[in-house]
Amino acid sequence: MRLALAVVSLVVLVGSGALVYKETQATWQNHQKAYFAEAKAQAKTDAERASLDVKSPKIEQTIVTGFGASRVERCESCHIASDDPRFASGKEPVRTHPYSAAMGDVYKDGHWERKHKFSEFGCTSCHDGQGRGLTKADAHGEDEYWPTPMLGYTVQANWKREIAGHLHGADFMQANCAQCHKEKNFAGTALVARGRELFFKEGCFGCHRIQGVSSGTIGPDLTEVGKERKLDYLWGHIVDPRAYTPTSVMPQFKLSDDDKKALVIFLKSRRGTSPSESPVEQYARETSTVTPVPDSVAEVQTAITAAKTSVARGEQLINGYACLSCHKLDDHDGGISPDLTHEGLLRDPAWLMDHFRNPRSRITDSNMPAFALPEQDFQDMSAYLMTRTSALPAMTPAQTYESLCARCHGEKGNGKGSNAIYLDPAPRDLTRAEFMATKPRTRLVASIQNGVSGTSMPPWGKTLTDAQIQGVLDYVWAQYVKEKPRQIKARKLPDTNPVAMSADSIHRGETIFLQRCTGCHGRKADGHGPNSIDITPRPRNLTNAAFVQSVSDRRLFESIEYGVDGTAMPSWIDYGLSQSDVGDIVNFIRSLNQSSK
Amino acid sequence: MAVAATETKSTEPEIGRRRFLGWLSGVGIAGSAVLGSLATFFFIRPRTTYGQPNRFKIGRPEEFPPGSRIAIDPKRVCIVREGNKVAAISTTCTHLGCIVSPSATGFQCPCHGSRFDVDGNVTGGPAPKALAWYAVSLTPSGELEVDKDSEIQTGTYLSV
Repeated sequence: MRLALAVVSLVVLVGSGALVYKETQATWQNHQKAYFAEAKAQAKTDAERASLDVKSPKIEQTIVTGFGASRVERCESCHIASDDPRFASGKEPVRTHPYSAAMGDVYKDGHWERKHKFSEFGCTSCHDGQGRGLTKADAHGEDEYWPTPMLGYTVQANWKREIAGHLHGADFMQANCAQCHKEKNFAGTALVARGRELFFKEGCFGCHRIQGVSSGTIGPDLTEVGKERKLDYLWGHIVDPRAYTPTSVMPQFKLSDDDKKALVIFLKSRRGTSPSESPVEQYARETSTVTPVPDSVAEVQTAITAAKTSVARGEQLINGYACLSCHKLDDHDGGISPDLTHEGLLRDPAWLMDHFRNPRSRITDSNMPAFALPEQDFQDMSAYLMTRTSALPAMTPAQTYESLCARCHGEKGNGKGSNAIYLDPAPRDLTRAEFMATKPRTRLVASIQNGVSGTSMPPWGKTLTDAQIQGVLDYVWAQYVKEKPRQIKARKLPDTNPVAMSADSIHRGETIFLQRCTGCHGRKADGHGPNSIDITPRPRNLTNAAFVQSVSDRRLFESIEYGVDGTAMPSWIDYGLSQSDVGDIVNFIRSLNQSSK
Repeated sequence: MAVAATETKSTEPEIGRRRFLGWLSGVGIAGSAVLGSLATFFFIRPRTTYGQPNRFKIGRPEEFPPGSRIAIDPKRVCIVREGNKVAAISTTCTHLGCIVSPSATGFQCPCHGSRFDVDGNVTGGPAPKALAWYAVSLTPSGELEVDKDSEIQTGTYLSV
């Protein structure tokens, strides 16, 4: 008993002694002691030495109020020599913060004068990090949950290595310089300016909104993206949009590392509010209803005034607005959007104009932004595209497939062409014999000849002769389908819907739809039901008006009653739907797609 | 079990051992208590608080020409320079804490009319005490630093 008591009491004594000792030996205290010792060795007068003798380590705290919410900073507890010019060659953290003429520091009368005084600017307004931290890991923001690790310096443990490797360097701090230095041509924020240029040049502005910069609506608002996201996310998302968000529809742009870096820095500088802005200015900016004119529009407009004809102007616009960072035109391939090389043979001016004004008026699930450009520009670009009518050179069916079809349907015919992931509905998988071999040849030919409305399949009727279409189809059959057309037993199908369109019928159809169809086609009938993600081909978007209007009642009846072979659509006769039930459903689907005209 | 065994035997050396253990426990407990209370007194004073820091830089001596008396209101301190001597005098009135302002005769308080001479000594009004003088030092970067935590004797200047 006594032994145990003695042992425990000694353990307590040693433990509390260790705690007290530890409190006097924190890293920052040791750095300060080292600094005092070195400063004493360099001291020139006795008085200076005496004043250093009485100094003991203290937490050096400043409160910076000039930059948004007040920042509590204890950085100088370790970086105690940051403003002591004698430590220019010292070892971090006991080292002088470099002086830089580029940052406005002035050398006069034998000493440097800082422009950004630490007492006024603090440290985190430029470097980020966690000002309150008293250990390196805390202060530099190494913890993966700290939102602002030191820019260009600290890499958090959960950052992917291949991404983190690109995120080093003082350049990244330009994002913070730009919080106050907003002038576009400011020398210290060259990369922010470059990133901004890329934001327009690569077409980012078409989808993304940044308050006062752009007004896109397809992608997320990036006004405060620099506050919400860290460097690794910004970089990683540009490299592969689906790495962090598997359902992202953002195109994967082909950018050089330098361009990615500039873009990341530009995005990181988007923090919404800015310390150089008064609350009144901020309010005025937030409530402003003026749609900003993209920089590039103004630039392009001034550059092309020389062009006389509408067509010439349109050609310059298409290059100026960077359409080809997504689309293909002749040899230039953006790798994301459809080929415009033969556009004049595929579409008519009305289609092009509608599509320019709002791409989703023609292709419901298009990922092309509705660029808010002047109407005249649309007309000129349409005029130019309508001149793209050059006839194809004589080609074998294999070459035809290669040059016209493979970009979407894939070289293996499996519907996984280079730009297939950006198309909705996805290109047909031509190797799925169950689908291909059960469709009448006339329908397949019609799809090639007239295109498929509401999808990215264009009508090739003017580009290819009938013989060429038959040839391509034979080629597809031999290469990919590899099966004889199957004979389908004659099906009893009405040519037009026998159930008259009426409010009652639509209501009955909706009830059945909600019970039977929403699992795959979704409650909004947009093809995004809960099961849809596991199904290829994806369930049809039944609100795609252009498509639904192009399909006959007979085909709708056939698809519902007998299912669609080679897809997940089952035969609903087997599940007890009667002809009149199907008629109600067809009426319901038609009612969703009545054109507003 | 070992403890029970020692208690049953009561020979001479065992008592010595008991004493020793008791003494050891005493040292341990008393030591922890003393250390604990000392540590409490030592650590009870916060190392930092969330107010504006009491030690701050105010700029280079050249910014204060000889003979000037420049009040820095946000920091509540007046920098006095005479020749090449510099001092920092508090501008917080010792009566009710208003900010006093430099005047031709020294300082005067706008609230209740306290008056002080150029060294901060009371010359009139309700103020009970002279204005405090704070330690001023020159940092290695050549800037003046005022430490409001350390009050010094009236009339103590720093030569620059």
